[in-house]
Amino acid sequence: MADVNLSEAEKTFILHSVQDNFRDDGRSCEDFRHMEIETGLISNTNGSARVRLASTDVLVGVKVQLSPVDPENPEVGRMEFFLDCSANATPEFEGRGGEELASEITALLTRAYGCPSTMDYPSLCVLPGQQCWLLYVDILLLECGGNLFDAMSLAVKAALFNTKVPNVTMTKDEGGIELDVSDDPYDFKRLDVTGAPLVVTVNKIGHFHVVDASEKEEACSLARIMLGVTQTGTITAMKKEGSGSLDADSISDMMESAKKVGVLLNKSLLKALGEEEEQGTEAVGFLR
Amino acid sequence: MSVDIRLASSRGKGADLYHGEDPGNIVTPGDVITADTGFMRGHGTYMEEDCLHASVAGTVERVNKLVSVRPPKTRYNGEIGDVVIGRVIELALRRWRVETHSRMDSVLMLSSVNLPGGELRRRSEEDEKMMRSYLKEGDLISAEVQNVMSDGCLSLHTRSLKYGKLGQGTLVQVSPSLVLRRKTHFHNLPVGASIILGNNGFIWLSPTQDEQDGDTGGYQTNLQPVSHSDREVIARLRNCVLALADRQMLLFDTSILHAYEASMKHTVKELLKPEVIADVVDLVRQRMELEGS
Amino acid sequence: MAGMELLSDQGFRMDGRKSNELRRIRFKKGVFNQADGSAYLEQGNTKVLAAVYGPHEIRGSKSKALHDRVLINCQYSMATFSTQDRKRRPRGDRKSQEMTSHLKQTFDAVVLTELYPKTQLDIYVEVLQSDGGNYCASVNAATLALMDAGIPMKDYVIACAGSFTRETPIIDINHLEESSGGAEVIMAILPRCDQIVFLEMNSRLHEDHLSAVMDHVMAGCKDIFNVLNQQVREELVRRTVQDSLVDSG
Repeated sequence: MADVNLSEAEKTFILHSVQDNFRDDGRSCEDFRHMEIETGLISNTNGSARVRLASTDVLVGVKVQLSPVDPENPEVGRMEFFLDCSANATPEFEGRGGEELASEITALLTRAYGCPSTMDYPSLCVLPGQQCWLLYVDILLLECGGNLFDAMSLAVKAALFNTKVPNVTMTKDEGGIELDVSDDPYDFKRLDVTGAPLVVTVNKIGHFHVVDASEKEEACSLARIMLGVTQTGTITAMKKEGSGSLDADSISDMMESAKKVGVLLNKSLLKALGEEEEQGTEAVGFLR
Repeated sequence: MSVDIRLASSRGKGADLYHGEDPGNIVTPGDVITADTGFMRGHGTYMEEDCLHASVAGTVERVNKLVSVRPPKTRYNGEIGDVVIGRVIELALRRWRVETHSRMDSVLMLSSVNLPGGELRRRSEEDEKMMRSYLKEGDLISAEVQNVMSDGCLSLHTRSLKYGKLGQGTLVQVSPSLVLRRKTHFHNLPVGASIILGNNGFIWLSPTQDEQDGDTGGYQTNLQPVSHSDREVIARLRNCVLALADRQMLLFDTSILHAYEASMKHTVKELLKPEVIADVVDLVRQRMELEGS
Repeated sequence: MAGMELLSDQGFRMDGRKSNELRRIRFKKGVFNQADGSAYLEQGNTKVLAAVYGPHEIRGSKSKALHDRVLINCQYSMATFSTQDRKRRPRGDRKSQEMTSHLKQTFDAVVLTELYPKTQLDIYVEVLQSDGGNYCASVNAATLALMDAGIPMKDYVIACAGSFTRETPIIDINHLEESSGGAEVIMAILPRCDQIVFLEMNSRLHEDHLSAVMDHVMAGCKDIFNVLNQQVREELVRRTVQDSLVDSG
């Protein structure tokens, strides 16, 4: 995340504004900034989505591939995350600059989606014990404007909603079972993402906490927790980050906030995605 | 608690209200501006085979014999006398390196600042060691451009009482081409806040100082909590400035005040929504048209 | 690959274009706020994003600074989902390094580098969807991004790729045509001065046909230039008219 160097006075100003529940752009501590989503932009993928949260811009592409099962879980499908921090976002991401951030975020997403109830993994298994669908979820970070984890998880969920997994026909012959992936663009099945979690980051600033922190607010916060929250308020992953320490009471307050916001976020996202599907207009992409 | 998720397809196409005819002075890189050799080359042009070509995309400006092309968006090009706001990024030998969003980092020499207490003396070694107590990394300052060096590096000074370290407030960054060169860049707005319009596109919003405690050049910063009403004014101004910048409207005290008044019918956080921004900017534009004509 | 005709008897290509027809070009300048200049360009199904940062102080070792010119730093990167088969690494492989140095070479020739000594200019290109002509789309998008950032250049840089099949030169080839095994001629030119800043040819082409293909590719570049220039001018006109209405004393 881009480092913003703030002066003492600016940090004090932000600290007091959070105390006052009136942040520097007029939001309260639990308000999100304006967001835009869109799905189906990239045609080479099985599913794609783009999320713009103020000046944070994230693009996700999902590609599916038949592959051998995980020996520890031979009856379910698999999911692999990959984050590429593009140098477009900030020159610091040039070359291998974004790798640390990438490994952090992919680890959290893997854990959040690792819980078996989040996605219908058994349905992704094609031949139990042998072949299953492997979902490659590739995230491309195009611009950093604070609150990267939340924006990425929104884009991931939207892309998974948009994903079309081709149907497979199995034919038995002497050598074994032949798997035939359908080429027909209309012969697919969709993924059920109602149980998929969204990451909500809660930043502690002073004695209070905020949701959807801008870059300046992130620079004032010494500790934050990230929670994977599903539509029903179930928490699938949690992580504390930052050099500051938190006491148990603050953590439970922050968790309550995150759960509330997470449930609302899930609802709004699915509503927007449903609207988009009904409209069925061609993707606008970056042209507007 | 509010969450606002929109579809990208519902985004409008942007202000499309002006279908003006080509004023004839738009150029793109490579266009020939004039084949007349009598003109002097200014910014944004280059000479090739006795013809003057444009090197950027923008509008041609002719001042007597000087021809230059002004692009709509560019990094800050400093000129002597400009008021800028900068952030200190590094301490070096007898100087501070200041970030002003220009081609190179600007420089604030130790000899160009006012000492605390307003003393006038030669800077000693003691002062060099105490530099960090005057200004350290991350501090914001308002300063004036004293000199532009040959490689483009700007040399700043804060030798007047109105410049110096900035206290509590909000910094907004916009494109430098949106801030015009005016007589004064420091405004105490009647709505209850002060604004400094830096030529480099950095805009500083702060609560109004009641008493000019600028005798010390602002080295003591007031860390008392700012009142809620002041905070609201500053937040609203911030959103108005960003709304105007988003639509590439020029920023000066009148346009910002118009935007403020036009925004009063919305709550401060509603000003983050694109349709409200479009509404406010349209009102401002109409008002400026009325006043201009 | 046998039996796949790139050009049909009636003169139509696989995607329905004629031999000298370009793909649809759409673009937008100023896509991002934080970069100094940015642009998004589509040429058919190839989608590219370019961002420009600078000129700014050299980061890292100051020894890299050039005392009389700006240091141009490029990076070409492809999203892992951009190709038909998923790409494991977005950058760092040999092909990307080669593209990066080609881009650097191209823009070193056209940016007025003497104006900004001891500074650095970053040009980053990200390919979102790859369907042939990646280098060309990258160059065109980077030109627009540089213009958006207000960086002085001698002229536009426009690139186009062409091939030769059934005695006819074809231009603006897509991925299928690139991988069919025919010759590929890639050119980047300054359209108004007719200067070539980059030229590369792959595979085999009889020298008798070379000048014909080059002429066609150059004409293709000029067509692309016209399309881009027209829209850029229109946007500038719209902006100037807006500005003049609010500029009061």
